[in-house]
Amino acid sequence: MSSNGGGPWGGGGDKGNGGSPWGSGGGGNNGGGGGGNRGGGGPRPPDIEDILKEGRERLKVIVGGGGGGNNGRGSGGGGQGLGKGGIVLIVVAAIGFYLFNALYTVKPEERSVVLTFGERTSVGEPGLNFIFWPVQTAEIIQVTRENTIDIGVGGGRTGSRADQGLMLTGDENIVDIDFQVVWNVSNPEDFLFNLAAPEETIRAVAESAMREVIGKSELKPILNRDRALVSQEVSDLIQSTLNNYVAGVNIVRVNFDKADPPEEVIDAFRDVQAAEQERDTFEKQADAYANQQLAGARGEAAQMLQQAEAYRAQVVNEAEGEASRFVAVYDEYSKAQDVTRKRLYLETLERVLGTVDKIIIDDQVGGGEGGNGVVPYLPLNELRRPGGTN
Amino acid sequence: MSRAYIFLGALVAIAFVVVNSLYIVDERKQAIVLQFGQIKEIRTEPGLGFKLPFIQNVVYYEDRILPLDTSPLEVTPLDDRRLVVEAFARWRITNVETFRLAVGAGGEATGASRLESILNAALRGVLGNVRSNDILSTDRASLMVQIRDSAIGPAQNLGVEIIDVRIKRADLPPQNLQATFARMQAEREREAADERARGQEAAQIVRATADRQAVEIVSEARKNSDIIRGEADAARNAIFADAFGRDPEFFAFYRSMAAYERALQGDNSTLVISPDSEFFNYLKNDGGGPLQ
Repeated sequence: MSSNGGGPWGGGGDKGNGGSPWGSGGGGNNGGGGGGNRGGGGPRPPDIEDILKEGRERLKVIVGGGGGGNNGRGSGGGGQGLGKGGIVLIVVAAIGFYLFNALYTVKPEERSVVLTFGERTSVGEPGLNFIFWPVQTAEIIQVTRENTIDIGVGGGRTGSRADQGLMLTGDENIVDIDFQVVWNVSNPEDFLFNLAAPEETIRAVAESAMREVIGKSELKPILNRDRALVSQEVSDLIQSTLNNYVAGVNIVRVNFDKADPPEEVIDAFRDVQAAEQERDTFEKQADAYANQQLAGARGEAAQMLQQAEAYRAQVVNEAEGEASRFVAVYDEYSKAQDVTRKRLYLETLERVLGTVDKIIIDDQVGGGEGGNGVVPYLPLNELRRPGGTN
Repeated sequence: MSRAYIFLGALVAIAFVVVNSLYIVDERKQAIVLQFGQIKEIRTEPGLGFKLPFIQNVVYYEDRILPLDTSPLEVTPLDDRRLVVEAFARWRITNVETFRLAVGAGGEATGASRLESILNAALRGVLGNVRSNDILSTDRASLMVQIRDSAIGPAQNLGVEIIDVRIKRADLPPQNLQATFARMQAEREREAADERARGQEAAQIVRATADRQAVEIVSEARKNSDIIRGEADAARNAIFADAFGRDPEFFAFYRSMAAYERALQGDNSTLVISPDSEFFNYLKNDGGGPLQ
């Protein structure tokens, strides 16, 4: 307000005292004084600063000194002599100072809103902009730059548990959610004039929207797959609420940083995952066992069948061999039955009796009646022994 | 010289008066002009204004939407479960005169605290008449509208319009939080146990099925192999019958010969025989009969 109040006065002073070097000097000095205060840290060249300081000193001389000349600047005549160059410098400085206040740049990501006596009149696009200072003032706003608000991260303002992003789901479970709202300004005028505390408002709306959406959903889908859906829904809800306030804010996106069960129960949730893995392990192990058993059974079955086939081949072949041998012998036998029969009998007994231990007992020797003369005295065990032990 | 001083002095004085009789209302503000505490003029539109210097002063009020976050409030819904509710409201001073009269010199801060008590009353009133489930999940949006509607009337007495009331947070109190955690834990444990049991079940089914199939496969194979063996035996019998059937008597003889040879082989047999057998027909005599 003070700079606005000073403006008309300075302007009036300049106009009213155009002819008088003193008045002009005074007007310039007032402006210059203001400039010195405002732009102390500004990029102004130092020589202008010096000139202004010089002007201020001269004002002291004029107002307070009363022609005493104690600053070593000499007499009043000397001051007038210096004043000619000084006035030019002062005018240049005043113009420079005015332009410094009236011109401003708007960067590509910014827009400016121009206020005339506090009333909005126009919007400044990027580039160099001019205002009728001090009647007009300009507010520069970051428009396209994306701002982020983190919610649920690290304790919050009061540090209570609820501020750490714990939210109640529809099935009355609790989920720990950290998320980020990314926003920028869609309408600089609305943004500037409609909301007193935009960031705080966005934060509150976002938190409320997230809790509302989470409150409608169940725990499991939030933890698993529905995150994109939830963040879209939250984003829409925030946007529509802010649009009700005509906030001039555009919600770019809502990022889920975290949607986990709370720390207190996270072990139990991990145990469920472990159990799922175990279940899988059990099933896989059983599959392995099944494969092993079935393969073993198939092998055994194949073995049995092959053995049976082998048996068949063996038995049939043996039978055929034996049969054909018999047939061959029989064919010969049928040509000369008696001789062959005799011969076979004798040959067989020859072979049999050739190898077998034998005792031949004549009936007469054995005892006339009944043939049991020596037989009872034969040491049967002794006879067996050599055969048995060898 | 002195003329210049007077001129300068007059200039400063005029400027001072001019400054004091002008005021600017920003787009974001509205203003009341007070004269010794009496409201003289109300300005809601932005722009330059004039007032009597020194005896009138200007008080500015916010013209934008203001935030209000209520502190946590415990409410008891119909089902007697307690809930901690935090709400926020967006409000705007619509009638500066009423606002000033109602709030006094405290300005927006005092207004906000007055509004908070109105809001708390509305929250208690509305939320006390519904079930906790409605607050927690399903019906939040319509409850928020109800709260706003019931707060709008009292707020108008403050010269304030409530634009929106939203429940920021509706949670269980900390004591219930632990119970909820315990329940969540129990649910998860049940789920984990269920998973494991189902795993065992599936594994057992797979094993048992495999065992059964193995037995089936083996026994089937045994059956088939027995069939094959039977067929083989049958074929053997057929072959023998075909061959031996040509002369059963000779077969008996021939087979007996083979059997003797096989059975009486080796050193473990001792034969006690009488030389009366046919084999020894010629042992005692040449069988030719007496020489004549």
